[in-house]
Amino acid sequence: MSVEDPTRSREHATHHVYDDIEEDDHPLPVWWLGTFFITVFFGLGYWFWYHSVQAGESLAQTYEHEVAALPKHASISAAGADALKALETDTEALVRGGAVYAQNCVACHGAQGQGIIGPNLTDGFWIHGSDAVSIATTISEGVAAKGMPAWGAILGDKKVLDAYAFVASLRNTNVPGKTPQGVDAQGNAPPATN
Amino acid sequence: MTRVTVRYDDASVRRFLVASVVWGIVGMLVGVIIAAQLAEPALNFAPWLNFGRLRPLHTNAVIFAFVGNMLFAGVYYSTQRLTKARMGSDLLSAIHFYGWQAIIVAAAITLPLGYTQGKEYAELEWPIDILVVLVWVAFAVNFFITIAKRREKQLYVALWFYIATIITVAILYIVNNLALPLAHGLKSYGVFAGVQDALVQWWYGHNAVAFFLTTPVLGIMYYFLPKAAGRPVYSYRLSIIHFWALVFMYIWAGPHHLLYTALPEWAQSIGMVFSLMLWAPSWGGMINGLFTLRGAWDKLRSDPVIKFFVAGVTFYGMATFEGPLLAIKSVSGLAHYTDWIIGHVHTGALGWNGLMAAGMFYWLVPRLWGKELHSKAAADAHFWIATFGIVLYGVSMWVSGVTQGLMWRATTADGTLQYPAFVETLVAIRPMYWTRLAGGSLYFVGFCLMAWNLFMTIAKGSPVDVSVEVEVDDAVIEPSVSPWKLLFGQPVLMTIAMTAAALVYFVAKLEGAVIALTVLLVLLVVAIVQWSRRSTKKESERYHPMIERHAFVFTVLVWFAVLVGGVAEIVPTLVVDRAVPKTGPVAEPYKPLELHGRDLYVREGCYVCHSQMIRPMIAEKLRYGEASTAGEFIYDHPFQWGSKRTGPDLHRVGGKYSNLWHAQHLTDPRSTSPGSNMPTYAFLATARIDVGDTLVKMRALKTLGVPYDDARMMGADAEALAQGKYVSDDLKSQGFEVAPDSEMVALIAYLQRLGHTAPVEPKAAAATR
Repeated sequence: MSVEDPTRSREHATHHVYDDIEEDDHPLPVWWLGTFFITVFFGLGYWFWYHSVQAGESLAQTYEHEVAALPKHASISAAGADALKALETDTEALVRGGAVYAQNCVACHGAQGQGIIGPNLTDGFWIHGSDAVSIATTISEGVAAKGMPAWGAILGDKKVLDAYAFVASLRNTNVPGKTPQGVDAQGNAPPATN
Repeated sequence: MTRVTVRYDDASVRRFLVASVVWGIVGMLVGVIIAAQLAEPALNFAPWLNFGRLRPLHTNAVIFAFVGNMLFAGVYYSTQRLTKARMGSDLLSAIHFYGWQAIIVAAAITLPLGYTQGKEYAELEWPIDILVVLVWVAFAVNFFITIAKRREKQLYVALWFYIATIITVAILYIVNNLALPLAHGLKSYGVFAGVQDALVQWWYGHNAVAFFLTTPVLGIMYYFLPKAAGRPVYSYRLSIIHFWALVFMYIWAGPHHLLYTALPEWAQSIGMVFSLMLWAPSWGGMINGLFTLRGAWDKLRSDPVIKFFVAGVTFYGMATFEGPLLAIKSVSGLAHYTDWIIGHVHTGALGWNGLMAAGMFYWLVPRLWGKELHSKAAADAHFWIATFGIVLYGVSMWVSGVTQGLMWRATTADGTLQYPAFVETLVAIRPMYWTRLAGGSLYFVGFCLMAWNLFMTIAKGSPVDVSVEVEVDDAVIEPSVSPWKLLFGQPVLMTIAMTAAALVYFVAKLEGAVIALTVLLVLLVVAIVQWSRRSTKKESERYHPMIERHAFVFTVLVWFAVLVGGVAEIVPTLVVDRAVPKTGPVAEPYKPLELHGRDLYVREGCYVCHSQMIRPMIAEKLRYGEASTAGEFIYDHPFQWGSKRTGPDLHRVGGKYSNLWHAQHLTDPRSTSPGSNMPTYAFLATARIDVGDTLVKMRALKTLGVPYDDARMMGADAEALAQGKYVSDDLKSQGFEVAPDSEMVALIAYLQRLGHTAPVEPKAAAATR
């Protein structure tokens, strides 16, 4: 092999030869050794700061602070029945609400609100209350037992109000779909179907 | 001076090599298929061809079948030549080869059928595990007999890496696969649960990468690269330093797979800092490889073998830089659960393992079959196709990972998520899934080109078994050094002292930590001074060359080096974890039907795409609910935290949707989540659970410490059916007919239970109707 290679410096040669593989013994590259020591000292320092003296915040503490700083959701009912009624005729809110509905509600309530997994929104019967505040609260707080998510925490109050406006506009459009469930505004159950 | 003729066992090398190429094609083809399934879910044709079952097949095939056979070929070839001895026993070589192929075939059959332990890269069930251990022991015995009868006294660095591989893989594999088989069948439950299981699994998982995919291939690099280049290895002392640093430190780094999880934070920090410290030791290997080529860089143009080796070593350098980077907590916060990690592994797997394998094959085949390589042009083409494929793969996964990571955490000023629908973030990265498919397919095409090229070479040649004349110098009398003196030599005592100081440092508070740190630094300075003065001694009297001649001492020292990290991390967690339930919400054991559902979750490989670990981050709280705590998982045999979110986290999915939603979603995921790439699980509606198995399952879990009382276990079948009836009645009332003992109902019962520390009584549908 390369023992007689004139281009090879013999300065760092060892006499080890294994199956014709020779072994040199160059010094450790300084940048490499430096990298090694820096990472070791960083590791020791990191441990000292976060664990030995606990000067740095732990992940749990950071999380606690972030949770505390989270904006609180006002109850949607604080908006009041009148404000909700006003939204029902706000054309811009209806357009925005349609977009929110298309993205988040269609999968369960259907493209026309005819109901699939969730109930039909186009009849006059409501499971969790038919007045404006009840409907908005159902959207915002959800109904955990029936798989209706609490959209307030997910979408924020503004989008929930827009969604309310859109859902309210579907009422009594009577799109054929899921059988009516719940009661109407007078407390009457839907007529029995065959 | 006597001369002996050594006839090498090259037939074994040829067998392993061919097996590696064949299994490489199979494993990569499965990889291409599952990449296509992620881009287009309609490609999930049948239950046993679903992504959740094929993905474990892909990982196991490429790791254990492709790289496994490749490393055995490399080890068998180089060990014989470095020891100037034929392999220890032809019988053991044959047992090793055929046993390993039997394991692979068994894996290829059982994984698609859904027999799995539900832990990544440790999916194989207990009978196959036992076979793996037996075959591995055959390999180890064969290897160490060869070492024992070696005619080259001093062990070359390649052999150090092989020794580390053999003993560490054995330890890892056995501990992580400890499981209790059920009274009948292939199914078992792992002995560890929850946090402990997670730590043991990633101690194993990370070190499978370290000691199966890295150290043996480094050994192979140390043999084949200088051989192919015809140049001396760059630095002997760098070999020593980076070898010991690598084997000692790698074992500690596992917890970096569990950053921000419910794993105690001290263990997370250990995982992070040791990962950072691994950067230089890893690069030591790269430097020794690349600098070996100095003076021979012109061969890069002319010799395909050198091309593959140089690119392989360079990808190793990239992956081992990216690894420590990803192990930084805040980087992991963005990258964990995303495709960035998938990109990272494939840079290593396709770049380092795949290209090193190709280089070795192109070098070996002409020598093993005595014929020039059929087509150098095809080898060059393979190189460029493969490299381009890797780049496409890596870049698409970076883009995908960072995009999705940022979308998941984006919040608005009013404290809500900017992209509340998970599926939005999936739709955004879908083009990258097609790009990845293209990259992976290119790589696969290149590999097939290599297979054809090698086949043509083999077809023209005929097997060559090499014999060499070895001169054995009887006159040289080895200075007999007692192994005990070597085992407790000065460098070892120094290392023990430094390790002890470091452990005190990790445990102690302020004053103790300062004292321990001072001791550690003083010892470090002494060690460096001692090391720099070693050249004053004759080589034969220096410590390291002495242990290189003493294989037993060397092996024992490696054994200790890898054990320290594992013991220091795992033992405290096993002990401390007893107190965990007191600190968080207390879990209750799963109800019988939920247990069946959980086993189905494991069988279908849901953990491959869904995590069950909500990290303490505000965006995760908004999306999934309160951060997960350790106490919630104490009865999870195995843990199902997952490592990837192709779909959303499921830890608190219970109660979030109605039973009907789940039934619809499992039947046709896109009906409830347009844009989803989840396979359909409609077949669960007709398949039935074996209610008669309930007691068997509960008994096994009770043995493992889950507190089921005997009276309840006796009525378990009826309890399972009653809960099934609740769910199926609820579904039926809404027009979805399914049997109470159907697999779908069991899975829904489990999903609805997730995240509830106490089991939720199924609400009678009638109450709200």
